[in-house]
Amino acid sequence: MTIAFWALAVLLVASAMFVITAKKPVHSVAGLLAHFFFLAITYFMLSAEFLAVIQLIVYSGAILMLFVFVIALLSSGVAPFSVGPDRLPKIAAPATLIVAVLLGFVAYGISREPIVLANEHGVAAGPVGAAGVFGSVADFGHALFTTNLLPFEITAFILMVAVIGVILLAGDHVPYVPTRRRARIVERDMREAIVRAGEE
Amino acid sequence: MRPDLLPVALANYVGLASVIFFIGVAGVVVRRNPLIMLMSIELMWNAANLLFLAFARAWLNNAGHIFAFLVITVAAAEAAIGLAIVVVVFRSRANVDVDEVALMKG
Amino acid sequence: MGIDGAYPLLFVIWLVPLAGAIVNWAFGPQLKRSATIIGSAAIGIPFVATLMAWNAATQSSGAAVGAHQNLFSWMPGFDFGLLLDPLSLIWALIITGVGFLIHAYSVGYMWSDSAIARFFAYMNFFVFAMLTLVLSDNFVGLLVGWGLVGLASYFLIGFWFFKPVAVAAARKAFVINVVGDVAIMFAIFMMFAKIGSITFANVFAHVGALDGWLFWTCLFLFIGAAAKSAQIPLHTWLPDAMEGPTPVSALIHAATMVTAGVYLVARCWPLWNASHSAQLLVGTIGGLTALAGALLGIAQWDIKRILAYSTMSQIGYMIMGVGVGAYQAGVAHFFTHAFFKACLFLGAGIVIHELADEQDIRRMGGMRSRAPVAFFAMFAAVLAISGFPGFAGFFSKDQVVFGALEHGHPWLYAVGIVTAGITAYYMFRLFFVTFFGTYRGDVDPEHEPARGESHAPAWIMALPVAILGIFSVIAGYAMIGSNPPWSRLFAHTFPSENLPPVAIGEGWTTAILFVVMAAGIAIAYARYATPVALANAPARLRLESERMPAVLVRLFYFDDVIDWLFVKPSLALGRFFGSWFDPDFIDGAVRGLVTLSTELAAVVRYFQNGLLRSYALIVVFGAACFAIYYALQGTVR
Repeated sequence: MTIAFWALAVLLVASAMFVITAKKPVHSVAGLLAHFFFLAITYFMLSAEFLAVIQLIVYSGAILMLFVFVIALLSSGVAPFSVGPDRLPKIAAPATLIVAVLLGFVAYGISREPIVLANEHGVAAGPVGAAGVFGSVADFGHALFTTNLLPFEITAFILMVAVIGVILLAGDHVPYVPTRRRARIVERDMREAIVRAGEE
Repeated sequence: MRPDLLPVALANYVGLASVIFFIGVAGVVVRRNPLIMLMSIELMWNAANLLFLAFARAWLNNAGHIFAFLVITVAAAEAAIGLAIVVVVFRSRANVDVDEVALMKG
Repeated sequence: MGIDGAYPLLFVIWLVPLAGAIVNWAFGPQLKRSATIIGSAAIGIPFVATLMAWNAATQSSGAAVGAHQNLFSWMPGFDFGLLLDPLSLIWALIITGVGFLIHAYSVGYMWSDSAIARFFAYMNFFVFAMLTLVLSDNFVGLLVGWGLVGLASYFLIGFWFFKPVAVAAARKAFVINVVGDVAIMFAIFMMFAKIGSITFANVFAHVGALDGWLFWTCLFLFIGAAAKSAQIPLHTWLPDAMEGPTPVSALIHAATMVTAGVYLVARCWPLWNASHSAQLLVGTIGGLTALAGALLGIAQWDIKRILAYSTMSQIGYMIMGVGVGAYQAGVAHFFTHAFFKACLFLGAGIVIHELADEQDIRRMGGMRSRAPVAFFAMFAAVLAISGFPGFAGFFSKDQVVFGALEHGHPWLYAVGIVTAGITAYYMFRLFFVTFFGTYRGDVDPEHEPARGESHAPAWIMALPVAILGIFSVIAGYAMIGSNPPWSRLFAHTFPSENLPPVAIGEGWTTAILFVVMAAGIAIAYARYATPVALANAPARLRLESERMPAVLVRLFYFDDVIDWLFVKPSLALGRFFGSWFDPDFIDGAVRGLVTLSTELAAVVRYFQNGLLRSYALIVVFGAACFAIYYALQGTVR
């Protein structure tokens, strides 16, 4: 297990680095796909079976597809990303410095504080990893639809708002006009079309 | 495997999540391509999720799973809207560079 | 003072003039000349109401007559109300009575003025302000009236605002009056701090509580009184105020407004009775003003300015009277003076009107035939002001002068006697030069409506003058004889004292007064009214004006001293602030602030650069700060 964890850790960090260093966004997407895949394996190892599946389906399947789609959309008629703006900017040095400092602090904190485990939190230890027990679909679904029903519904609402927002933002833009006026315009266009048809 | 035991010590998960998270931060700060910035944000979301799940496993408490689920949902919404903004902003430009979009400069 | 009677018409007396003012103000352009009717009625109605109160008051033989009406309480110690006691009754009577006659006179005098409605609005407003002053039962209400009176006089003096001189005079009057207002305010502060109340009744019941501050309270009150009543050294605004229309001079600067100071001192007699040094100060200032006003009156040629200085002088008498403790005498002189001074001003107004706004008596003469009503009325008034026996001024002036002696001020007595002689001289000088001899001016005797104006019938102006002339004769008889109305009215108002016996009796002082006055008249006659003098009048008058002593022509240098003491330093201070302090210091500070914020903004602006990634970096930086904080905290714990 330990060896698996370290192997996954190395792969995760490597794929993440690839994501942020790749020249082309498509390569980044590929890196991200690999990253999510390794992450799903890690989730499995943490007994989070349902979320591992979700990770693959939603993230890899849906969100990354969205990225690919947008890349395809923007690549047409736009200067190639490769000639684009990816020189190392001035803020790279301070950013790296800050990241290094923060990492240092995190490492320091980890080495100092022994992290408490389940027993000390009084959670009943039970079977792990099989159906009907911790991390399974049934376990997760039970928690989601009883205790956490309201957050779940709010999630649905958030998604709906996001969908509406996306439609408004990226949709084919007709400048807003009052409905009645628009109806008149449509009516006029139709009448003209009919007249034209009659002439022909 | 013993139910209260993690594959490796919890501190290792914390460290791994931190590293991935700061890789994401570095990506947002360093890259000028909005798509890669968004992907870096996804990295950060996932680092947080990894922590949630590790702690849920350590404490055998599936509230962490619920949280991770919500994070995934919100991340999906965020990615959708972020990409929509990118499309709107850069559809009319010949270049994809967030530094070019500085209308809010004071 | 324990006056708690009720008088239902009190509000009528107080508020009807205000209503008249508001109506005339608001609807002046529509009313045009009918504003005169409203304006006069708004004074006439309160006059009738006051007269009824006067009748009731003089008939009653009770302890203290009067009416008191609470209006409202603002906070503890600040009770506002109206008080009609004998003192305020006398003032209200003069204000509305003489005021009504002057209003009626103004109908004729201002007939051709296009702003006649505005004039009547101001006049009504002035009467309202004056009534507020005298009817208040507390010092703050009095101060409100005091300020409003100053405002009204500003309006009226500057009524012909197209004359720069008039505007300057209005400003001068206002500024000096404000000096007085502020002084009274300080007096009120002191009284409230020590006694905790502003009503007359409470303050006068606890005069002892003022102890060390008593003199200063009196002093500040008197500064206010001196500013309003044109006492030395705050008198300089009064002669200049003659730039207003003549009825204004009659109403404000003779009959009512300038006597507010007399009212204040008489009203506050418990304070003055308690402070001997304050009495001495006020009496001395009053005597000096009487003398100075009379001396300056000699040197003037402008008919209204002569009358102005005579006003100043006569008010000096009143202030001297109330100052030395002869309150009743001072008030009596106010009462008679109101009639004969209004008569003099209105008579002078007729003359001025007749001569197309000529005011220099050197270019008058022979007006006896051209303005007979004015001649006779002014003759009575001149005799009255000189103190000729039998005329109104005689009784009151005699009382005042004798009061000074009676209360142990022989020097003031002497000043009073001398001033009486000078007064007789310069008033008869005015009278002789104006009405006797031949006409020396250049206005066509048949100057009929010069600018094609319509004129009001002559009697509108003549009748009030005649009535005032009659009162100049008879007003004094209200206060002689056994148990006259006057004594009945004031029996319980002022303290009766046990005065030390005086060296000479009242009969003797009257005789001395008469001799001195007769001498004054005789000199005036010899200089201006003998046949020889009349024959050579133009040459003699020219000679006199050339030889006039500079000290009198320059008005005792009061204006110069005030200029030198206050105006010049103020101007210098203004130049200092204007040329250095403001541009360099104040503006410099402001500019410094601007520079500072610009610089600061330039620094902050660096962060507001619109670059998404730098914002992200700032967020990361903030998060890093938090992380470091918690890490350190963890270390400490």
